[in-house]
Amino acid sequence: MRGVMRGYITAVDAVNYRMGRIAMYGIFVLMGVLLWSSVSKTFFLPSLWTLEMAQFVMVGYYILGGPYSLQLGSNVRMDLLYGGWSPRRKAWVDLFTVLLLIFYLLVLLYGAISSTAYSLGYWKTEPISYLFGVITGSEEVGRLERSSSVWRPYMWPIKLVMIIGFTLMILQCLSEFCKDVLRLKGEEI
Amino acid sequence: MPYELIATLMFSTMMLMLLTGQRVFGAIGFIAVVAALLLWGDRGGFDIGFAAAMKLMKWYPLLTLPMFIFMGYVLSESKIADDLYKMFHVWMGGLRGGLAIGTIGLMVMISAMNGLSVAGMAIGATIALPELLKRGYDKRMVTGVIQAGSSLGILVPPSVVLVLYAMIARQPVGQLWLAGVVPGLMMATMFIAYIAIRCRINPSLGPVLSAEDRDMPRDEKLRLLRAGLLPIIIFAVMMVPFVNGWTSLVESSAIGALAAFVAAVIKGRMTREVFENSVRNTLGITCMFMWIILAALAFGAVFDGLGAVKAIENLFTEQLNLSPWMILILMQLSFILMGTFLDDTAMLVIVAPLYVPLVGALGFDLIWYGILYTITTQIAYMTPPFGYNLFLMRAMAPPEISLRDIYGSITPFVLVMVLALTLVMIFPGLATWLPEVVYGN
Repeated sequence: MRGVMRGYITAVDAVNYRMGRIAMYGIFVLMGVLLWSSVSKTFFLPSLWTLEMAQFVMVGYYILGGPYSLQLGSNVRMDLLYGGWSPRRKAWVDLFTVLLLIFYLLVLLYGAISSTAYSLGYWKTEPISYLFGVITGSEEVGRLERSSSVWRPYMWPIKLVMIIGFTLMILQCLSEFCKDVLRLKGEEI
Repeated sequence: MPYELIATLMFSTMMLMLLTGQRVFGAIGFIAVVAALLLWGDRGGFDIGFAAAMKLMKWYPLLTLPMFIFMGYVLSESKIADDLYKMFHVWMGGLRGGLAIGTIGLMVMISAMNGLSVAGMAIGATIALPELLKRGYDKRMVTGVIQAGSSLGILVPPSVVLVLYAMIARQPVGQLWLAGVVPGLMMATMFIAYIAIRCRINPSLGPVLSAEDRDMPRDEKLRLLRAGLLPIIIFAVMMVPFVNGWTSLVESSAIGALAAFVAAVIKGRMTREVFENSVRNTLGITCMFMWIILAALAFGAVFDGLGAVKAIENLFTEQLNLSPWMILILMQLSFILMGTFLDDTAMLVIVAPLYVPLVGALGFDLIWYGILYTITTQIAYMTPPFGYNLFLMRAMAPPEISLRDIYGSITPFVLVMVLALTLVMIFPGLATWLPEVVYGN
């Protein structure tokens, strides 16, 4: 059991570390898009795509970078009581409360899945099985949702990014959960 | 169940969850989605969490957030502002308490280049503080000076806190920033007046620099003034295109981030380590803010759906028969009180669904309230037991500054800030005048 947990932690942390390191440089992509937007506006015709592109980059930046930020410990906690507890007690409490965090992320993930299914032209109530169907080829893709701007980009790619991001976030939280279990068993993390 | 009761229940469980020390966004998000599922589970309640993500994506000014955070980290990590300190050192050293007054000036300039208080804090604690101590300045006073001065970062434009407030209150960011200018400079002046008066009464707090310390050829002195150009240039390349309407606020923030980056490269300060730290910390802090707002928006959406604000307004005005001003003052007092034990992100979450719509419903100007909110946040930043600035100070200050000194140093400055808060409340024109001049007509 411990071996499995250790293996899981190593694997998930490695994947999310790499993903986060890539997302981290998204700040320069974002900067580039915005700078191009100001240059093109001043000297040529204003670009139509920059505004929404920048928004998509931002979503990728913070959602795909989220698991790495958990690893870095950037997410603030209210440490009125927490700050004074022993490491053991912290691990005990986190063990339970992280499950609530995972529940929140699951609801987000479900919302993302149903919204992606909608963006592929599906309106009924079984988005999860529909998406599986699309992947295996048993379901048809319907009318694709486009953004209502002049540029009219398809919406499904960014929603897919969100699905990936929320999934990685859940995996990372489970990894934190495993770390707490191992800590309570007295192992070094 | 009556809506007031649901609202109270949501709030109290959220506070309980926050006390467990779980990550703030998790605590808030969990309560929000559970409430939504219980209330409207069969009618799209499961969707509220994700709808917040789409709303967040479409809110354009939020893109300034990573840019200003990046700018702040480049400035503080690369320490390109240290000649700026030297400039104030040489030019102000001849006055009683002059170095402390100069430090406030330094903080105002740094505030104009970035939107968080962390950059001012880092530069103040690592560059100014050791010098001030070496020159025999009272350590309590200077610790307070740096903490109070760096908190101006969130009031003087560009300000990240005001960007977040703008999102929640649905107000234009540009106007909010302009509204922060006069109160920010007023508060800086009040700090300076306080330092000057104290040093006049007790000169040992801030001794005049010895003659040889200030002895420097006139040319050298004038050359140091050039350091002051850096913040002016960065501020100008960012704000001139924006004020002239050539670029949007978001595009300007990218120009500012680029300018800070280029300045660090030209000065040869952009080492591998500086680069790594600024890029990584930018991701960490941006993720922290974004995930919290994501959860807070869902929480706010549930509140909107409940019509809880109307109910609470009704409770105050009809049943308790309070005037709008009484309510506002009570709110501000409770806010300062909360600020002493909540951290600033938690405050933002509380102010989001409850205070802002209530202030709007009472007929107050939300731009003006944004400034009150920010000053209160500044106070919260500094007051124990939980102040972001207090923790930063402890991490960055030289070892001879004890925690007692840090806690003890802030009292007079907090009183000055409360006075400033009161002034802005009594004279709303302090905040609303500049945006009216620029945007009016």
